[in-house]
Amino acid sequence: MHDQDLKALLLNGDDRFWSGLAAATRQASGFEELFSLSSLRRKARARRLPRPGAVPDQLRLALLGGYSLYPFRELLEHLCETEGFPCELWAGDFDNYISEITDTTSGLYAFAPQVVLLLPSEHRCKYPGKLTDPREMQQAEAGRAVDSLLELARALHDQTHAEVIMTNFMLPARHDLGSYRSRTLGSDWSFRKWVNLELGLKAPSYLHLCDLEFLAHRLGGYRAHDARGWFESKQPGSPPLLAELAREAAHLIGSLRRAPKKVLVLDLDNTLWGGVIADDGLEGIEIGDTSPRGEAFKAFQKYIASLKDRGTLLAVCSKNDHAKAAQAFEEHPEMVLRLDDFVSFKANWQPKSENLRQMAAELNLGLDSFAFVDDNPAEIEIVRQFAPEVATILLGPDPSEYVTQLQDCRLFEPRNITREDVERTAAYQSESKRQALFASVTDMDAYLQSLAMEATISEFKPMDVQRLSQLINKSNQFNLTTRRRTEGDILALLSNPAYIGFSVRLKDRFGDHGLISIVIGKKAGNTMEIDTWLMSCRVLKRQVEDEVLNELARLAKARGCTELLGVYLPTAKNEMVRDFYENIGFTLTAEDKNSREYKLALEKFRPLPTRIKITRRAYEST
Amino acid sequence: MNQPDVIAKLQSIFDDLFLEPVHLTPTLSAKDVPEWDSLTHISLLLAVEKAFGIRFRVGEVEAARNVGEFADLIAKRISER
Repeated sequence: MHDQDLKALLLNGDDRFWSGLAAATRQASGFEELFSLSSLRRKARARRLPRPGAVPDQLRLALLGGYSLYPFRELLEHLCETEGFPCELWAGDFDNYISEITDTTSGLYAFAPQVVLLLPSEHRCKYPGKLTDPREMQQAEAGRAVDSLLELARALHDQTHAEVIMTNFMLPARHDLGSYRSRTLGSDWSFRKWVNLELGLKAPSYLHLCDLEFLAHRLGGYRAHDARGWFESKQPGSPPLLAELAREAAHLIGSLRRAPKKVLVLDLDNTLWGGVIADDGLEGIEIGDTSPRGEAFKAFQKYIASLKDRGTLLAVCSKNDHAKAAQAFEEHPEMVLRLDDFVSFKANWQPKSENLRQMAAELNLGLDSFAFVDDNPAEIEIVRQFAPEVATILLGPDPSEYVTQLQDCRLFEPRNITREDVERTAAYQSESKRQALFASVTDMDAYLQSLAMEATISEFKPMDVQRLSQLINKSNQFNLTTRRRTEGDILALLSNPAYIGFSVRLKDRFGDHGLISIVIGKKAGNTMEIDTWLMSCRVLKRQVEDEVLNELARLAKARGCTELLGVYLPTAKNEMVRDFYENIGFTLTAEDKNSREYKLALEKFRPLPTRIKITRRAYEST
Repeated sequence: MNQPDVIAKLQSIFDDLFLEPVHLTPTLSAKDVPEWDSLTHISLLLAVEKAFGIRFRVGEVEAARNVGEFADLIAKRISER
């Protein structure tokens, strides 16, 4: 729809104006187009043109930065509104963001934003010294620049609990300094690159980066800058850059509110290969490195495979003969994707919208988790009409552009870093530090001492039952008897005075290992039988087993026992502990092919020395 | 291009941009037209630069006080192309 048609709808008071406006906004490319659509929207509002549908809640969005945020804010407000999440905007003063953030009585905090978009000033992201200063000095300065930005983001988040979106910095696009620009961190070029990189890698999970460097790169650095716009009205960049920036910011704000697509559904003929499999046959379709078109289709399949590796589910929905379609995946040597890459494979003559609905039911997912790709506009149209929740991608006429079309569809972007990612990284890092330490000390005792291990030993508690049951039922290797128990079994044990049960948690200077060992003992006369003894293999050779034995002996003695009875029941997986009791000082007393029994007299037993500090023991109140 | 030619061409740009018809005269200025706000002004400048194939220099548009002076400025930039 053109501006003139929209204007006519507006002048006639026709509420189809709004859907036309949203569609035109999605299509609009440059600043001027977007801007005039935004003006039309304002005029429609001023004329109180009624809007169909429910009015969504307004999102409280604060904008602040080292630039004039006008007309940028118009574009952003327009895009957010036409995307379906209208915003109430609060904009800070030009280049006043540091005091707006640090002064907790500022208007920013009175506004109580849910999302804050911060555009820090690039004029402050400069190395203040000489190009020839030592690299360490320049690097330290870049680090300080990053830290002060992170500090602003943290202050914002602490005060408001808002999601914080921050832009990074455009790189200069002039020849200034020549090739020397990349030989020093003191040039704006290198300094900002460094800051951008470090900022991205250090950003906490509440901080979402709006990658201005990337946006300007994509647009063309030369086109992204506008010196006149800066001098006249303190603009962050050229009009086309403002349009890109507003689109990106609106996308980020939107993606905080909607999930990425889970399933990519693909057509077959002329989508995954050139030609029609039912007509052209296995030999006739174009796929593989023998022709430029074949290469393009193969590259498309490779890209799709990479989406699968990132966690996207793949499915097929094709008007086709099922056997012939399946055969292509089973037998064609150049095919990258194979049948087992797909979670659903529908090659039949049903309408595609029907197939998609069935798929959603089978996979137990909402239709809005699906994206559908086809080269045929008629199929896309059917899906748009009859399964409108599905996102659709109509492939263009040239298969060499299929990959880029998917790359730019923005439907499969990983969410910002999750807490689990952060924890996984942290766990990995502390494990590699631990390994490095192990490698650096040759003396085992010194190593164990340097770990500064602390263990807490706790009798079974109702609160722990779920975790106890989990570990009891999944632990295989360091498990002497492999007796499985349900949560109910454990609860029953708790109230049976013949049993003792305790668990061990371990932490060291690199991290907390959590619950890592479980023991259950059963008293019969003056014997304490070790019904269960298991341990997580992550803490092997850390003296945890020694401390467990110390604790077992202590508890058994306290209950009037004179000996411990250890039982080893071999399984396919617990070979590791076959000689465990013997190695730790027990004596073999009975053996057959299904079990071994060992005993340890408590009278002579002396607690084993370890490097683990026990901060709490079982059946002792804390 | 002289002032009247420029104003004639400007008129068609205004017709596209404004909802309510605006009749351009040399003495007309932004404050005479309610719809001619700063938002519309930005669109107007971009449209004018594109339509006439010119680029204004820093600060000079601000100095033009009415449509006549604005048209003169456009004519001057055209003549220097």
